[in-house]
Amino acid sequence: MSADIERFVAGLAAELPGWLPGQRWFAGKDRPITGVTPLGTTVLLDGDPLLLHVVVEVAQGDRREPYQLLVGRRSHPPEVPAASWIGALGGYEATGDADLTAVLLDLMVRGERVGSLDFAREPGVELGRDLRARPITSEQSNTSLVYGGQYILKLFRKLSPGENKDLLLHRALQAAGCEHIAPTLGSITGELAGKPATIGMLQQFLSDAVDGWAMATTSVRDLMAEPELGPDEVGGDFAGEAERLGRAVATVHADLARALDTEPIDDDELARTVGAMTERLDDVAARVPELVPHVPGLRAAFEAIRSAPANSITMQYIHGDLHLGQVLRTVNGWLLLDFEGEPAAPVEERHALRSPLRDVAGMLRSFDYAAQQLLVGQDADPLLTERALEWARRNRAAFCDGYAKVADEPIGDPRDHGALLRAFELDKAVYEVAYEHANRPDWLGVPLSSIAWITQGGE
Amino acid sequence: MPEELRPDAALGLEGVPHTGEAITEDGMLVEPQAGDFKSAKQAPSNPEWFKGAVFYEVLVRAFADSNGDGTGDLRGLAGRLDYLEWLGVDCLWLPPFYASPLRDGGYDISDFRAVLPEFGSVEDFVYLLNEAHRRGIRVITDLVLNHTSDAHPWFQQSRSDPDGPYSDYYVWSDDDSRYADARIIFVDTESSNWTYDPVRGQFYWHRFFTHQPDLNYENPDVQEAMLDVLRFWLDLGIDGFRLDAVPYLFEQEGTNCENLPRTHEFLKRCRKVVDDEYPGRILLAEANQWPSDVVEYFGDPLVGGDECHMAFHFPLMPRIFMAVRRESRFPISEILTKTPEIPSGTQWGIFLRNHDELTLEMVTDEERDYMYAEYAKDPRMKANIGIRRRLAPLLDNDRNQQELFTAMLLSLPGSPVLYYGDEIGMGDNIWLGDRDAVRTPMQWTPDRNAGFSMCDPGRIYLPVIMDPVYGYQGLNVEAQSNNASSLLNWTRRMIEVRKQHHAFAEGEFIDLGGSNPSVLAYKRHWRRPDGRHDVVLCVNNLSRFPQPVELDLGAHRFSTPVELTGGVRFPEIGELPYLLTLPGHGFYWFQLVEPEEEGDTR
Repeated sequence: MSADIERFVAGLAAELPGWLPGQRWFAGKDRPITGVTPLGTTVLLDGDPLLLHVVVEVAQGDRREPYQLLVGRRSHPPEVPAASWIGALGGYEATGDADLTAVLLDLMVRGERVGSLDFAREPGVELGRDLRARPITSEQSNTSLVYGGQYILKLFRKLSPGENKDLLLHRALQAAGCEHIAPTLGSITGELAGKPATIGMLQQFLSDAVDGWAMATTSVRDLMAEPELGPDEVGGDFAGEAERLGRAVATVHADLARALDTEPIDDDELARTVGAMTERLDDVAARVPELVPHVPGLRAAFEAIRSAPANSITMQYIHGDLHLGQVLRTVNGWLLLDFEGEPAAPVEERHALRSPLRDVAGMLRSFDYAAQQLLVGQDADPLLTERALEWARRNRAAFCDGYAKVADEPIGDPRDHGALLRAFELDKAVYEVAYEHANRPDWLGVPLSSIAWITQGGE
Repeated sequence: MPEELRPDAALGLEGVPHTGEAITEDGMLVEPQAGDFKSAKQAPSNPEWFKGAVFYEVLVRAFADSNGDGTGDLRGLAGRLDYLEWLGVDCLWLPPFYASPLRDGGYDISDFRAVLPEFGSVEDFVYLLNEAHRRGIRVITDLVLNHTSDAHPWFQQSRSDPDGPYSDYYVWSDDDSRYADARIIFVDTESSNWTYDPVRGQFYWHRFFTHQPDLNYENPDVQEAMLDVLRFWLDLGIDGFRLDAVPYLFEQEGTNCENLPRTHEFLKRCRKVVDDEYPGRILLAEANQWPSDVVEYFGDPLVGGDECHMAFHFPLMPRIFMAVRRESRFPISEILTKTPEIPSGTQWGIFLRNHDELTLEMVTDEERDYMYAEYAKDPRMKANIGIRRRLAPLLDNDRNQQELFTAMLLSLPGSPVLYYGDEIGMGDNIWLGDRDAVRTPMQWTPDRNAGFSMCDPGRIYLPVIMDPVYGYQGLNVEAQSNNASSLLNWTRRMIEVRKQHHAFAEGEFIDLGGSNPSVLAYKRHWRRPDGRHDVVLCVNNLSRFPQPVELDLGAHRFSTPVELTGGVRFPEIGELPYLLTLPGHGFYWFQLVEPEEEGDTR
């Protein structure tokens, strides 16, 4: 690598502590950055334009986490958002520069290795060339590029050694012939502390797809426009979709259980789970006074799972962060996306085997959110509130019906594991309380009303 | 023949040529021949005319009455051709006008070579053909291959003379146990596909009503006789046939008796007759089946299709209704994804409504319940397994929705078939029996009988629509043609625009998807013979609420969308997804004009 590039990268590293907190995908916004160290630089295009792949370690006190960047420098840069410029060195975050990002796909087409980066197609995959990419704007913790409406390349921002869980599960599901995922076409592997680490994953892009949140809220909107009719009477009824979605999730769980490890749940695990839930509850209740009245009910619900029958449930790989925004409706049915797990959770926890009921609980929570989202910030209207509740009940039930039709024992119908499902759902709702309290106080009522409803015995 | 078995006596065919006027020495019925009549002049030659044609289904009975007897007739229809030419219609589809006891809307044909007397005569039909062809309008009609009326002289001969030449024209059996796997189609009225005939002392096979015995296609004489029926009308100048109920011609033990290989073999024979003897005429299959089965009726794709030129796409229609009601494009996108490629020489026929009920055979049980709940709130609105309503009342008389539906009809893949009266938004009368709700007289003027007939109003075949919303006093052709913003003028304008872009006719259909489930966006891409491209972009908001949509038009970077009804140029397509906003139930048609084509918007 030329001295010029080394100087350039060192200069960038000095600018990054000021630049990173402004990036949506940066996960460490809670603490100040104390230092940024380049770990490795790969030259993907040399000269003018220049395209660098840079892995940096971000230090925040005793926390050390690696992130990847794609940096461009050229004499005639395209129009990129002001926030993309890293300091005044002429370098910019290059995922928005279609001229430069085209090289990533070309490298994958050729299956090349550049420096420590290995661009590989999955076995038997052929890719089209010369496609321009545009970044997807809605993403939170990673950056995805869509090539010519055909492929989507996800660049994981925060890196961890080893095969990324998203890639691992996609490969396992694909090998199992699962139809409810987007096909994986390739991957980019780099190095982290001398070990291989997944930095990117290429999948089929489904241009016909709509995410589950948009589908569900379309239905809710239709219902709210005609509140004199019930959710089973209006044209936009979602129960059929919810039922098919339940079947898709159960199929993915069954395929994961077949393809990868499973282990029975035991008393220790249940105790650990209760401990973790109670700990979160205490933590959140200390910060959010509105949660305090619900603490006894929540604690009782969490304790109740200690008496769950032994071997009633199997631990396995699950999605880990399932909600309506993580599923896609295509003309061929529902797909699940993003098997990384909860982005905020530590890597070890994301990779742990967990109960599939957690995914079910996540989706049930999401139905509640979809039902109530039009009411947030509005004056309370008892009729609309009742309609929203009916919509949520109808579609939660339909989802469980669909799940039960496919799921094998020991899971079967999720509602047969009432205590466990309730506890998982409440745990998720407690997490939501913390999130809404910190970010969207208007929405605090959504998880709180669900907590009240569930702890009082509602379904 | 005993007097009570002479059906023609009851059918008013005395004095006009008809089947069975005489019987030859070997027992054959004498039938009228085309040469007995003058033939019509042909429409201008264009063998692929059907691929881009706008069809118009018109019931002879319901359109115009020329002789004041209260029933529409062929001369009356001929007198209204100026209107249809003005509207932009390319081809009329007439449901059966043959001699018939009319126990199944004329689909129970008692003489393939005679016209129902109240509609006129064979000469009147030739007159209609000449008048239509003179205006560049073609005419096709229904032909029922599968069965006849039990009043047909063939059946009368077959039942009364088991040793005669017509003995095996129908499917007879000593018991009712054969072909047990064939479903009963008219579940409301029929309990078996077999009925006992006391005259012959045997059971006869019928897939439809008891009074419609199935012809026996195992018998080569039947095949020849039916090919001669085709030739009779083709010789007179007709432009083609809609072949009714084609999947059922043959029977075979152990099958459901639908879509059998031998049925396809016979259709290939029909097609060969057309190709060899009457090029430019068409066969249109009515096969209410899944598209993957219906494509079989186009025949061999390697030769561009060697059975029917066209087939109706049945499942699309209920899904258009479902998609709008659900505000989701998936019902439409899914069925089009499941629709296979069709041979190069063929075309789909698509429709929103026709003379039958809104057919729900091709939807799942769950979807059928849904459609009933949504569109047939009153039990009288249901018939068989469908919904008997016209387009406007189905859509609550909402002008925006009528326009959206019509825009989709005119832009989705296939030749559109309009149903008479829907271009003015006519209503229906659900208190009429059977399927008559949607067969009331065409509303021409605010005058007596809506200008349909000069007869005493009590004599009219069905009452004209008189309710305050759809009544003929306010809703009629005369009023709407004088109103520039009427549905009629709007429909005419859209047909005109459609004809300016061949992409609508034969362009490849490409669903653009997109992240908004309520917006159905697609391209129709036609590669012109000169190598240039005609690309039309259609964007439909299926929701009652305004919607934004971001479309991935990366393949057309630097092109300019030009709106087709007004010619307004929209912003150039760039690198980013193309943003459009649509009003509730709104739609756009654009041509995508490439930069080098500047100034050429056609």
